[in-house]
Amino acid sequence: MAPTDPKKAAEPAKTEGPPQLSDVKELIDASTFEQILEMDDDDDRDFSKGIVYGFFDQAENTFNKIEKAIKDKKLDELSSLGHFLKGSSATLGLTNVKDGCEKIQHYGAGKDETGAVDEPDDEVSLKNIDTTLKEVKVEYAKVENFLRRLYGEDIKPVEEEAKETKETKETKEAKPKAESKDSK
Amino acid sequence: MEGQTSNPPGNSSDFVRKLYKMLEDPSYASIVRWGDDGDSFVVLECEKFTKTILPKHFKHSNFASFVRQLNKYDFHKVRQNNEENGQSPYGQNAWEFKHPEFRMNNKESLDNIRRKAPAPRKQAQNNDDLVPTQQIDLLNQQIVAQQQQIQHLSDRYAQLTVDHQLMLQEVMRVQKTVLNHENVIHQVMTYLLSVDARQRRDSKAVTFQSQGGSTMSPSQVGAVDDEPSSPLQQASKLLNDMNAEIQFNLPGMDSMNDPQKAAPPPTVVSTPTMDAAARNGAVRPPTTAAPTPALVYPKMGGELEPVVYPVGATNGIDPMYSEHVNNVPYPMPAKPEIESSDARRQYPDNRKKSTNVDPGWMRSPQILLVEDDATCRQIGGKFLYSFSCVIDTAFDGLEAVNKIQGGSKYDLILMDIIMPNLDGVSACHLIRQFDRTPIIAMTSNIRSDDIQLYFQHGMDDVLPKPFTRKSLLDMLEKHLVHLKAMSQGMEAPPAGAAVTMAAQTSATQSIKEDSSPGQSPAGSMSNWQSPGQFQNMQAVQPTMPPVQGQYVAAAPAAYTVDQNGVQYPAATPVAVPAAGTPVRPPHRRQMSDMSGAAENPNMAKRQRMYPQPQPMMAVQAGRPG
Repeated sequence: MAPTDPKKAAEPAKTEGPPQLSDVKELIDASTFEQILEMDDDDDRDFSKGIVYGFFDQAENTFNKIEKAIKDKKLDELSSLGHFLKGSSATLGLTNVKDGCEKIQHYGAGKDETGAVDEPDDEVSLKNIDTTLKEVKVEYAKVENFLRRLYGEDIKPVEEEAKETKETKETKEAKPKAESKDSK
Repeated sequence: MEGQTSNPPGNSSDFVRKLYKMLEDPSYASIVRWGDDGDSFVVLECEKFTKTILPKHFKHSNFASFVRQLNKYDFHKVRQNNEENGQSPYGQNAWEFKHPEFRMNNKESLDNIRRKAPAPRKQAQNNDDLVPTQQIDLLNQQIVAQQQQIQHLSDRYAQLTVDHQLMLQEVMRVQKTVLNHENVIHQVMTYLLSVDARQRRDSKAVTFQSQGGSTMSPSQVGAVDDEPSSPLQQASKLLNDMNAEIQFNLPGMDSMNDPQKAAPPPTVVSTPTMDAAARNGAVRPPTTAAPTPALVYPKMGGELEPVVYPVGATNGIDPMYSEHVNNVPYPMPAKPEIESSDARRQYPDNRKKSTNVDPGWMRSPQILLVEDDATCRQIGGKFLYSFSCVIDTAFDGLEAVNKIQGGSKYDLILMDIIMPNLDGVSACHLIRQFDRTPIIAMTSNIRSDDIQLYFQHGMDDVLPKPFTRKSLLDMLEKHLVHLKAMSQGMEAPPAGAAVTMAAQTSATQSIKEDSSPGQSPAGSMSNWQSPGQFQNMQAVQPTMPPVQGQYVAAAPAAYTVDQNGVQYPAATPVAVPAAGTPVRPPHRRQMSDMSGAAENPNMAKRQRMYPQPQPMMAVQAGRPG
């Protein structure tokens, strides 16, 4: 396969098949994400990849801003940051991230996590946001990992589930692009 | 000398005499003298001549003036290159002048030397003076006149611009109204078609049973539906159940609550529009105006929601739905797994196709996408691009307002709501001060009070986020009908009404599958309006005797519009045969004659349609009446 790539040779354990959207149903809404993939040209994935990687930057920036806003106790800002990331994650179909962001938005607005009930105590809201942010980051990490693999990055999957799948496809690791196309 | 000067002044000019006198002076011979042949004179030393002799005799020292004067009297310079050797015999710098009458020792002939055409010359001089002033006056007048004209034109232009704007607004308003109406109709159609599709299948199974008695069929259909294989089927089942109940409950039509109890809320989430439409058709009594379909909600127990949208009910169909699910702004992810997978199964082909399908614009729509989130902007832009739209983007409301204000023209504006600097609602409010381009709110904040706010500030519609490719296309087709070819215009709206969710897409799809040519939305549509429609109505009527009374009360106006003039209570000649015991067969023949479509499906359709057309008719009649 890729003798020129020492990393790959060194990590034969990572034997997951090509990343499949169906493997991460709970993470990514497939129909939403697929309609973005459909917008790719036939021979490359530049468009969707650009979007997804742009989202990574966006998400990490936003996480940083949220952490800072938590320190500064700026609930308004937290709400709008939550809203912001909610929008883009929802557009990509990243269900769990979106849900978490929505909670942050509600907490920031001084509500409970559904946005229906007022939460008068700002400290409680901040604490909720802090907790939720951690959850969101976990979800985000899963999604990020999956997406990076989808776009051919050579990293270990976060979740074990994909690990045991078809060893035969390991040989294809060298050509992640073609592979992910096949997987479609 | 004296004699010379005493010559009558009119006969010879001072200049010529002075010239002659000057040449008589031998002391000038080295500077100016008669030519060798005596028929010309030569200025040998131009410089000296100018400096010493000219002042003495002509009171100036300008050789050029002297030459000009000579020319006036028709002296001509003798060209040096006329000489054989190309060289003046008097030296290189010599000026030789001659005049036929100017000869040495011939003073008399001087009288014949006169200024050349003095009179014309003078006139010309006058003209030179006159023409400019006259022309300037003229030009000035022209300029003033033109300025006035320009002023007039620009006034007129401003006036026309205002008029045009007003007209445009008026047209937009009318257009919107038309679209709203169209949408209502299409939505009803969508509902009907879905029911039809379902029933067609069902009626295949229970064909003859249903012939036995129409009141039976719904329940039987319901029974057949038991396998909930797809969301469509679930929805259809729901609809069928409702229909059934309605049919059973028809006598007590005013109690609209009953059918609604039958509607399981969960399904409502995944198929909002159809559900709403269904409820609309099912529940709405003839007394309810057609354009308030979505207002009836099962959980409300039939209590009518207040109209949320100032603009017109159809605008709010989707939002209304989302209002129902109030705190579930992202209905799509929430849809049951089975739905998505099912949708997918039917999807790929179609979707892949649709990726490349040109929506059929007459020209590329110009879309302004106002969105602060790069991800949404990119994807939205890409989707729009795939619909053959020309896209411009703005980062926030401020930029959008500036673009519109700067004179950019768009066919549609997609506007995010929450943006930095200037939010979408404020931006829309500003734009509405001078522009009527349709503005679609693109947002996940779709609670009823949010939406009400959007519409209050002049937005035309709401596209819930996250939008899908399809929901976006539907929105475009809904608001850019005028850019589409007619046939597509007819087909688009049903799709547009049909929703945003994948599950619904599948529904729409099966609808389309089932709509053979004869039953296409457009086709059915025209059926409704055709006289034959009423035969259908009548034909069906006998099967539902209990309802007749109500219809009599509600719809007479509608039916009088019909040329058939045949009205309900099956008493009329036409209806009577149909009302006979073998109710079905004659009907079918009638219908197949009219529509040319398959008998059973049509049968089913008509049957299902039954409750629906009534309100439609009532509404249509209500306006003329």
